[in-house]
Amino acid sequence: MAVCVSIIGKDNSPKYFSCLNPYDELNLQYKVLSSLDVVEEKLNSGSKSGSDIRELYLGMLYSLETHKIYGYVTNTKIKFVIIVDSTNTAIRDNEIRSMFRKLHSIYADYVCNPFHIPGDQITSKPFDERVKNIMTGNA
Amino acid sequence: MSHPDYEQFSHDHAALLVLVRHIDSTGQIRNIFIRYIKDHPVENNDWGDFQTHRRLLGLISLAKYDSQQELNEICRVHESLKVKYTNTLFDSRAILFLSLGTHDSPTKISNSGDFNVESKGDKEEIPEDQTNIDFEKQNDALDKFVPPSNFKTRAFFYKDTDPCSDLETHLNEFINSLFWVLESKRLERSREKLERVSLLLAPFEKKDFVGLDMESRNNKKRCTGRMTKHLGDLCLQAGLLTESLTYYTNAVETLKSVNDWLWLGAAFEGLCAASALVLYPNIQRNVSLHRNSSLQEGSPKRSNSVSVSSLDTINKKDVTNCLSPEDILKRYREAIIHYSKYQNAGIIETEASFKAARISVEQNHSLQAATFLQNVVFINLTLSEQEKIQRFETLSDLYTQIGFIRKASFCQRLAATRYVSPQNPTPNWSQCYNLMLQSFPGHKLSLDPTEMCNSNLQIGWPSLQIQLLQELVVAAKRMGHSALATRHMTFLLQTMWNHLSNTDQKELSLQLQSLASQCEGAPVPLVLDNGIVIPPANLINVPVCIGFTLKNLQPHLQPRKIQASKQDSGPFLFTPINFGSLERKNNKPQSKMDFLWIENDLCEVSLKLLNPLPFELKVSNMRLLTSGIVFESIPETVILPSDTPTPLTLNGTPKESGELEILGYSTHTLGVKSNCRLRYMRSFMPQYTIEVIPALPTMEVKTSLPQSATFSTFQNFENVVTSASLSLYNGESTECTITLTNTGNVPIEMLEISIQSVLEPALQDQIFKWSKENIESQLPLMPNASASLTLYLYSAANFLASGFGLSDLMSGVFTSSHPSSIMSMSAGPSSLPSRLNSPIHSTMGGSFHARRNDLNSSFRSTNSGQSSMTTQGCRSPGALALPHHATTSIVEGQLQLRYSGGPGLEAGYCRTCSVFLTLEMIPSLQVTNWDVLPAETSSQFYLVLDIANLTSQEMELYYTSSKHMLIEGHESCRVPVPVDRCPLSKLTKLYMDQNSGVDDRLDLDKICSEHIASLVDLRWHLLSTETTGKATLKGIILTPNMLDIVRMSPLQWDVTVNGDLVKPQEPINCDAGDCLQTHIKVSNCLERPLRQLTMTIQFYQDYQNGVCSYKLETRLATAGATKVSLPTLEPQGKAQHVCNVVFFTPGLYKIDIQCSAPENFATNIVSNTTGHVWKFIPAVEINVK
Repeated sequence: MAVCVSIIGKDNSPKYFSCLNPYDELNLQYKVLSSLDVVEEKLNSGSKSGSDIRELYLGMLYSLETHKIYGYVTNTKIKFVIIVDSTNTAIRDNEIRSMFRKLHSIYADYVCNPFHIPGDQITSKPFDERVKNIMTGNA
Repeated sequence: MSHPDYEQFSHDHAALLVLVRHIDSTGQIRNIFIRYIKDHPVENNDWGDFQTHRRLLGLISLAKYDSQQELNEICRVHESLKVKYTNTLFDSRAILFLSLGTHDSPTKISNSGDFNVESKGDKEEIPEDQTNIDFEKQNDALDKFVPPSNFKTRAFFYKDTDPCSDLETHLNEFINSLFWVLESKRLERSREKLERVSLLLAPFEKKDFVGLDMESRNNKKRCTGRMTKHLGDLCLQAGLLTESLTYYTNAVETLKSVNDWLWLGAAFEGLCAASALVLYPNIQRNVSLHRNSSLQEGSPKRSNSVSVSSLDTINKKDVTNCLSPEDILKRYREAIIHYSKYQNAGIIETEASFKAARISVEQNHSLQAATFLQNVVFINLTLSEQEKIQRFETLSDLYTQIGFIRKASFCQRLAATRYVSPQNPTPNWSQCYNLMLQSFPGHKLSLDPTEMCNSNLQIGWPSLQIQLLQELVVAAKRMGHSALATRHMTFLLQTMWNHLSNTDQKELSLQLQSLASQCEGAPVPLVLDNGIVIPPANLINVPVCIGFTLKNLQPHLQPRKIQASKQDSGPFLFTPINFGSLERKNNKPQSKMDFLWIENDLCEVSLKLLNPLPFELKVSNMRLLTSGIVFESIPETVILPSDTPTPLTLNGTPKESGELEILGYSTHTLGVKSNCRLRYMRSFMPQYTIEVIPALPTMEVKTSLPQSATFSTFQNFENVVTSASLSLYNGESTECTITLTNTGNVPIEMLEISIQSVLEPALQDQIFKWSKENIESQLPLMPNASASLTLYLYSAANFLASGFGLSDLMSGVFTSSHPSSIMSMSAGPSSLPSRLNSPIHSTMGGSFHARRNDLNSSFRSTNSGQSSMTTQGCRSPGALALPHHATTSIVEGQLQLRYSGGPGLEAGYCRTCSVFLTLEMIPSLQVTNWDVLPAETSSQFYLVLDIANLTSQEMELYYTSSKHMLIEGHESCRVPVPVDRCPLSKLTKLYMDQNSGVDDRLDLDKICSEHIASLVDLRWHLLSTETTGKATLKGIILTPNMLDIVRMSPLQWDVTVNGDLVKPQEPINCDAGDCLQTHIKVSNCLERPLRQLTMTIQFYQDYQNGVCSYKLETRLATAGATKVSLPTLEPQGKAQHVCNVVFFTPGLYKIDIQCSAPENFATNIVSNTTGHVWKFIPAVEINVK
């Protein structure tokens, strides 16, 4: 379903990056990086208008010829970005939401690890595995 | 129209297009915007019907000439331009500058020949300064050249030095003329009947309407709508905002009904533009870069002020049909959607998107702006590479404006890659490089590596940063700026090291090496042509520094305070409370060193370096980076093996005194010079500071003795510079010459010598001696000069067998087998003195080399007798019990030399070095036992010593000035030493004290033992090694009974027999039956009275075998008391006693005369055993015939 999943820390530094096609990684990283502008903008305007803070899903950040980029921000300003292939029109907004929710929950599981230092990059094979499952829609 | 204009604002819809920038304002109501452009493809005029602001209305040509010919050419070009734009052009002007050639190079003049009339920046150079060139002359020159007669344009002629004061008025007049033409056209159009108007067409529509029925209702409406929209355009340009709004609104209505989407879009856009003009009159291009010199001074600014003031007067609410800010964006969106329905209107759509984005920016709707900009990318246009680049640059510019710096950087990077893409016929690496550099902020990259390293948090996206930096290196390299390439590669390695894989590290390092081979990297900022400064980058990771320590000087070179500051430790010498712990003393390493360095001394910093690369790394020219005082660092070169920590020492010499800061070190590796500052390395202090004190001398010390093989760990062991070892027999003395050489450059002005050992000071002074005056007379010691110090060494030891203490003596080790005490022994008519005399005299007289055994046997002969001098066991000659502790002892000492001089001395510092002395003290002789015996005279006594030769050699012993004897190795013998008795003068003080107690007795002991020690001089000579020595009896312990013999009697005896004074060694001869009158006079020599004295006269016979017979009742009779009590004897007082004796039988008799007193004179309790006994010595001998 998804092409790429990325977790970005509150200082906008990459914490985790995973994509189906490793050759595409640099390209997708550029896309995720530039989508952060939109995320930040949405967060800024969101806080101004005092919208529902429990709504973590940001919706589509922007779309490109080939990809659509969706964003999700936790209350601790950890950003999740999922890139979906534009050609996959069958995918619905609800599915994206559920992907984000799953991602959030495995992320929460991961940071509960007492050996994890907050702010460190995530390097864990089981985590990788679970993210891959989410991406392919097997989770 | 195929040339997009990304720079457009929606306000440009209201602008009159003029090819050269200027501004105009008319009247009070109309605000006219003039847009000056430098380039205008004539095709763009084709869209002039669609949107009138695209038409070129005016032309101003600027030119420079210096000849008639050139002027003609310029006029021709101007005319041809007029022809080119003739369809739309309203009016034109030419501004011509006469070059006087005074300061223009010919090339510049020739430039003006092929000069395109469209103004270029460099053609606007109008000098502001009034020059001193004569005006008259210039006017003449201006008149000299005349434009050709067919040149119809109004031209203004200036000299190139002219201030052009009237240029502005001329241009205003030009703008006015443009305006009035426009105004007349507008009026003309507005007067046309809307039903009659012809159909206005966009360029690509021309074919579409061929053959269509123009009279149909639909098409009529279309014509009307389009014309209404056109009128709106004209009104907008002519400054009639409200009218234009009305026209546009009407046009929208009309066009919507006929589904004329393209024009509907244009009408919407016009409506938005007019509304925006009302709402945001001040949107301006940020023009500043290309403005120059005099032209800008007046007009553009004035135009701003005019527009602001006049537009403020328009009440925004009053303007009918004006759109709300939200509606503007909504309409623009609609317009763009309508445009997008026409493939040929792509450029219009793109431009509209940009314009909409700019309005969003103005409204602070970043997301809206972003969607408009995002839309631009989707529009498929056939554009040249240059135009594509422009599109990306504009996008990035706008993204930057809305704060989307990442997106902006992304676009910049795309633009950069376009510059050098294979499709680009003219790759431009330098542009590519500049754009890459501009995209740094979006990637959270900073040109300054220190900023990158300082932020502990890693913020950027490392893989993208690495990618960008690598591309930057390539761009710099292709640009031909290899210094830059080296710099960026160094930067990449410095900042991204931790994010690089091992193979990347290696590959990039090798790349750096090859780049640096073209241009060596140095830690200096690079300045680009556009003024950007590239700060230096340093290879702090190649090699990695894992240890950095400042080294203290070697202990013997360390400076010390001459006067040690007294530490105030409070009233307590020790307190268990650690006050420091309350202060939370942190154990962090201190940046300030607690030791000192010395000016002109070689100082060391030790480093530990690790080469992380998989190949051998040569690091050359390593120096220390310092600040503060002058420091001369010595460069080092090291070859580091892969992945092995390598220690390295960097040396340097401070050239001044004061505070020195060590900031890091510099390296030269992989062809790059780096300054590795500790501040930018983790786990180090930012800098280390150390105090450098003024120069001190250095001294070399040598001794004449061989060095010790080993030395034990002794206090301050570290200062030792050399050592000396020596073996001495106890009592032997020798000299050691210590040579001091000043090896520094500072004279030694102060030298203090002291000895340190664990010995007690008195003994220490005995062993080590030197002449302080001698060494001081050799000061100051100039550089390279030497001084010598003689150290006298004496092997001082206790020659007395310490196993025999006072208690032993008291408990009667000597006398155990005898009931009588030593006193009684000596009190008895002992024959020992005479026996001692005779055999020794005889043996020594007869045979010099008297054998100890003989001597001993003679003693032994007395053993059976009363004398207890020779107790069995310890006296047995064969099994002489050598004192078991008499083994070789080793004395260790340090001769400490404190020296200083020059400025260091003034600062109160000195250096300390020491010579380690090992003195092996070999036992020579030992007095295993001793006793005292009364001598023949009252002024002397005999000290009888058992002396053991502890060496294995034959020893010759001189025990008086004239007497000597030989002792075999490991054997002992007994010698009598005549010693003067201790005179009373030494003891007066004691007797003076009435309340003398036990302490006094100890004092008495001491005085007496010192007395003996000072008089007895035992000198020995080892025959085989020719060594001589001297033994002392210092510390000899005496029993109270011995003391009475040792010291002079306080009583002075005066004994006469029959009136003849008794002399020692002279027996009195008399016959049996003779009456002998013994007259005894006693006088007290002390200065205090003696009390409770008992004088006894006793007669006895000595059988010369140790047995004395006191039972003489049958042999003699006495008349007069033999025992007299003297209650007190005043000082200097005298007492006398007379008694007579008659001997019945011949024989050898002796008289023992003694006075006894209890020990404590003050008490009446008399205890004879512990009291004092003073005898008349020697006993009177009477030979009765």
